[in-house]
Amino acid sequence: MAARILALAAMALLLAGCASPQAPSIAPEPAPAPLPTAAIDVPRQSSEVVPVQPAAAPIRIQIPAVAVDIQISPVGIEPDGFMQIPENITIAGWYRYGSSPGSATGSTVITAHVDDFIQGLGPFATLASLSAGAEIIITTDDGVDHRYLLESVQSIQKAQVPLDQVFDRDGAPRVVLLTCGGQFDENVRQYSDNVVAIANPL
Amino acid sequence: MRNKIIAGVAVGAIAAVGVALPAHAISDTNADLYVLHAVPGLTVDVYVNGDLTLDDFEPSDLAGPLDLPAGTYTVAITAADAADDSSPAIGPIDLTLEANMSYTAVAHLDAAGDPTASLFTNDLSTIPAGEGKLTVRHTAAAPAVDVLANGAAAFTNLSNPDEVKANLPVGTISAAVALTGTTDPAIGPADVTIAEGVNTIVYAWGSAADDNLTLAVQTIDGLHSVPGGVDAGTAGLAADSNNGLLIGGLGALAALIALAGFAATRITAARAAK
Repeated sequence: MAARILALAAMALLLAGCASPQAPSIAPEPAPAPLPTAAIDVPRQSSEVVPVQPAAAPIRIQIPAVAVDIQISPVGIEPDGFMQIPENITIAGWYRYGSSPGSATGSTVITAHVDDFIQGLGPFATLASLSAGAEIIITTDDGVDHRYLLESVQSIQKAQVPLDQVFDRDGAPRVVLLTCGGQFDENVRQYSDNVVAIANPL
Repeated sequence: MRNKIIAGVAVGAIAAVGVALPAHAISDTNADLYVLHAVPGLTVDVYVNGDLTLDDFEPSDLAGPLDLPAGTYTVAITAADAADDSSPAIGPIDLTLEANMSYTAVAHLDAAGDPTASLFTNDLSTIPAGEGKLTVRHTAAAPAVDVLANGAAAFTNLSNPDEVKANLPVGTISAAVALTGTTDPAIGPADVTIAEGVNTIVYAWGSAADDNLTLAVQTIDGLHSVPGGVDAGTAGLAADSNNGLLIGGLGALAALIALAGFAATRITAARAAK
């Protein structure tokens, strides 16, 4: 049985060989060498000139626990390099070169004078009496309310205030509220400390 | 030490004892390299040390930063989809990169219109608060130019492949480029934003003869400085009483010591991770 099948198969092969005397070659061309591919993925961007849209500026701060609800103005730098602060103690200053509440990273820094001879104690005098967890609402000029919870309030001697951390632009988004506190030196008319309140987005 | 925590637990966020690396430090061992394509009408591949690094790189594309160990690198720029870097259109050129520096390698036309490549060092120096840096680089097939800011010559007689720079107050300037001694813009005017603490690098590129002169912009941020301090009171009405100081003192001291330890651990960890 097996021998007959083999014989038939051999005949079929011979016949097939006779039927096509010159089989056309359909062998494929040798594969082209693959193009090299980039070893690493380097970030790319367009270098076209596009105007930078300014971030929404904070214009109002509310701290319900101590009944603070005041306006915020953008401020910069004094000629001596210190942060500008509005003369009016009932207006807070936002450091406009740093982050704003809409920024993906960094600290929104807001400062107000704690007091003034003529105007008396200011709203930010209440920072030192805040408890952790107090709610802070900052409204930006695009109408958005940004809500934060107070993490901590510290009184730090001015020389020891880590200004690069206060004015951080790369860390997690947060709000840093600043005013003065500690002891008062009548001779130079200055406070010894900064009161530093840190709040995180709700 | 009489700093005190009035409320909450300061989770190492603002530690009274803190050390931070400069915002613009890159690395003690590595350099940043950017690559800008400023040759009109030519898609290319870029090889670094024989390895294809940028595939199908288009004019006006800016790539980077590549984080490279300090050393010398051979860069060759070929036609797009070349099999290797054996017959480059530009180069090969050797780039020597030093640690903790930032560079931009630019493929561009020389003043006569022939393709070339230049390595520029990006200024990472700290910029005064309230200012930004404007750097202008001439990488175009054009004679010397003047750079006009808001219609007035800000920089004069800038030649390919040189650069000029200055710190400027933040804001938007109307920038234009004119052939030296003229005020009729050959490029622009275009609004360029001078952002605080940012080195804004403007490239004039293209070819005057082919009438395709244009601008490209690269920005390097994090070069800001911080205010010198915050003086927020003048009357003494909010001063601590001696009583308050004593009450605040003891518990806060323990908390601060713990805080300092925690902050030191975090810093060590952050450095190890670099």
